[in-house]
Amino acid sequence: MRKVIIMLILCTFLLSLTSCFDSIEMDDLLYVIAIGVDKGISDKWRLTIQFPTMQEGGGQMQSVSGGSSGSSGHSYASIDAPSFFTGIDMLNASLPRKLDFTHAQIIVFSEELAEGGLIGEYIAPIARFGDIRRSSHVFVVKGKAMDFIKENKPLIGTTLSKNFQVLAHASENTGFFPHVTLENFYEDLKSPYGQTIAAMASVNDLKSFAGEGEPWGTEFKTGGSYFAGQLPRTGKNKIEVWGTALFNGDKMVDKLNGDETRFLLMIRGEFRQGRYTMKDPKRPEVIIALDVRISKKPEIEIDIKDENPEIRLKFQLDADILSVQSMIDYENPELLPLLEENFKKTVEEGIMALIKKCQDLNTDVFYFGENAAKNFFTIDEYESYNWNSRFKEARVIVDVDFAIRRTGTQIKSYPIKDPIGVE
Amino acid sequence: MIKEGKFGVQEAICLTWITIVSKVFFSSPAVLARLIGSTGWYATLISAAVALLGFSFIYLLLKRFPDKGIVEIFDIAFGRVIGFIISCILGLYMLFITVARTSELSGFLRVYVAPQSPNWFIIGIFVVCIYTLSILGLESIARLSKLLIYPLLLGFLTVLLLGVQNYDFNNLFPAFGYGLDKIAYNGILRSSVYGEVIILAIFAKSFQGARFIKKEGIIGISLSAAIISLSLLCCSLTFPYYIEQEITSPMYELSTLIDYGRFVQRVEAIFLYVWIMSNFISATVVFYSFMSIFCYTFRIPDKKPIIIGSCIILYTVSLMHKNIISIILGYISIIRNFGSLPLFVLPLITLIAVMIRKKGENTNA
Repeated sequence: MRKVIIMLILCTFLLSLTSCFDSIEMDDLLYVIAIGVDKGISDKWRLTIQFPTMQEGGGQMQSVSGGSSGSSGHSYASIDAPSFFTGIDMLNASLPRKLDFTHAQIIVFSEELAEGGLIGEYIAPIARFGDIRRSSHVFVVKGKAMDFIKENKPLIGTTLSKNFQVLAHASENTGFFPHVTLENFYEDLKSPYGQTIAAMASVNDLKSFAGEGEPWGTEFKTGGSYFAGQLPRTGKNKIEVWGTALFNGDKMVDKLNGDETRFLLMIRGEFRQGRYTMKDPKRPEVIIALDVRISKKPEIEIDIKDENPEIRLKFQLDADILSVQSMIDYENPELLPLLEENFKKTVEEGIMALIKKCQDLNTDVFYFGENAAKNFFTIDEYESYNWNSRFKEARVIVDVDFAIRRTGTQIKSYPIKDPIGVE
Repeated sequence: MIKEGKFGVQEAICLTWITIVSKVFFSSPAVLARLIGSTGWYATLISAAVALLGFSFIYLLLKRFPDKGIVEIFDIAFGRVIGFIISCILGLYMLFITVARTSELSGFLRVYVAPQSPNWFIIGIFVVCIYTLSILGLESIARLSKLLIYPLLLGFLTVLLLGVQNYDFNNLFPAFGYGLDKIAYNGILRSSVYGEVIILAIFAKSFQGARFIKKEGIIGISLSAAIISLSLLCCSLTFPYYIEQEITSPMYELSTLIDYGRFVQRVEAIFLYVWIMSNFISATVVFYSFMSIFCYTFRIPDKKPIIIGSCIILYTVSLMHKNIISIILGYISIIRNFGSLPLFVLPLITLIAVMIRKKGENTNA
């Protein structure tokens, strides 16, 4: 019995190694949820943080106060500082709680910073900082990161952190922006396999939403052709995440719209599901909606025997029909291949155009380099081959296998009767 | 006469297993990635094979001298004076391993978990625990290791399984890392990773004969190799070689990346438990080996009086490191690169000596 008691005391001692001396009361901390980084004016960096104020009623009030004197469910504070860490200490001097970054969900960089190639300078110290989890998400924001954080208000529910978590994972259901964590972003900045990307975010001024004007005709738009901040929408939520920022090294070189982002994710094997709108092959003035999923990871083979590498990309997409406006009986086995061929062509062309765009920018954001590495025995051989510089000249062959697996809750479309006696 | 108590094969295997495996939770994967890229997972199998060869020398030695520990065999093989010197070398080396492990744990806890806690506090608590368990004796350590192996294994495998979401098989290429020559060289050199199997020889009297020790050693090294290889594989699958070599503790970092939404995330708490408990048992066993050798060498019949003194030495020496880099690239590198000498080469030299001098049971065979 004595031994058992000693063992228990021992285990208790050991478990205390996990904290004890570092213990701190939960309400002594200010949990930072979002971190924004802009170029500073009074100093090198402008650091903005957003945090819940833990007040009764939480985010139900949904109003955000500037500075650190928030009176609602959440607030923000900005400071110009020479470095992230000094900025934290400077902010700590003015805030009544100690800043804690262990629950930080997003890190937002301004587009200006990204285009200036300054992200690498900022990411490297953050990655070393144990408080910020590498599973937090990285966004590049059009305009200022501070403005984005100011406009970030929990529209549904009360918690900022949940909002961000749900938002970051929304990519899995739409494919309109990539899911990029700090770990992914940091890894890819240093990678000999390819280049890095980040999700694009923006404050939408809602001006794209025309209140009045000529009604839209029959011209076709996919819905994914917008860039972040351009979605024609209205409502209380002003922020949106849409599209992809492309990097070459640590410099942002271009961005992708929603459609291009979906193709990018398909190639990277990260596309899960997305709803597509395509022209009806028989009646181009109306559309067909498809629920598209990638059925297995893409097969990528890279041949490096010749001077210029050859990339053979093959993947399979499956889809369900969501709607057929024309009521043409595409469920018919004779007509179904027509739909499949049309969509397959759209995807293949889109992918080829995207790869060409990235080759022109000299940025392999598809990570083809990972597959190229299989042709080498050693790291030294691979690194001296220098994939990132070879990608530009690579020949690409794309083969998309597309099949419509289900036709929704209908197995036949019966045409709607034409109006009789109505002008 | 010091009595350590007797225990079975399972306890011995668990003891060996935990003692060997615990080091994989620290900087070893990162250092390996720096040396050989993402090939550590199979390079360690080379180390294990070399360690099995090294263990075969230990076994042959023990077989010649049933019911004798390796320290007694040193005396028989080389005489009292040289035997004393060799025993002291082995004993001091075991103390050095304990110091390195304690300092490493303290450094890592400060990096990841308790940045505000001073070294004297972390190392102090750790040494108090080592002291308590040492008082209870080897039998209790062995039984505790058998008791804890199940939750430790469960926690460890849970973390690796949950980490699947971040595994990328492309990280394993180029398949030969920085070259086959480097893999072979480091594979052989780092056989010292499995060197703690020598505890079976130090406490041979408690393990019920050479036949059982053979079984315990082979199973202990094989299971350790499987777990270490699996850990290194998972680290390489999670981090490409150029990132893995940057990270202070890849295994811990792997656990922090697990994120299955709002309910399954931040599982590093499980890992932390595995980390500390395994390191605690491991450090205690090695420390206890040091004391056992010390007592035998200086003919001290009872360990208890020297435990407190040894713990004070351990505590003070553990506090003496300059920084975490001096631990990782200093202490740990010395142990990995030269650890085979006291742990495998000394028994080999002893085996050759007893064969030449025709000592032990087989001389009559």
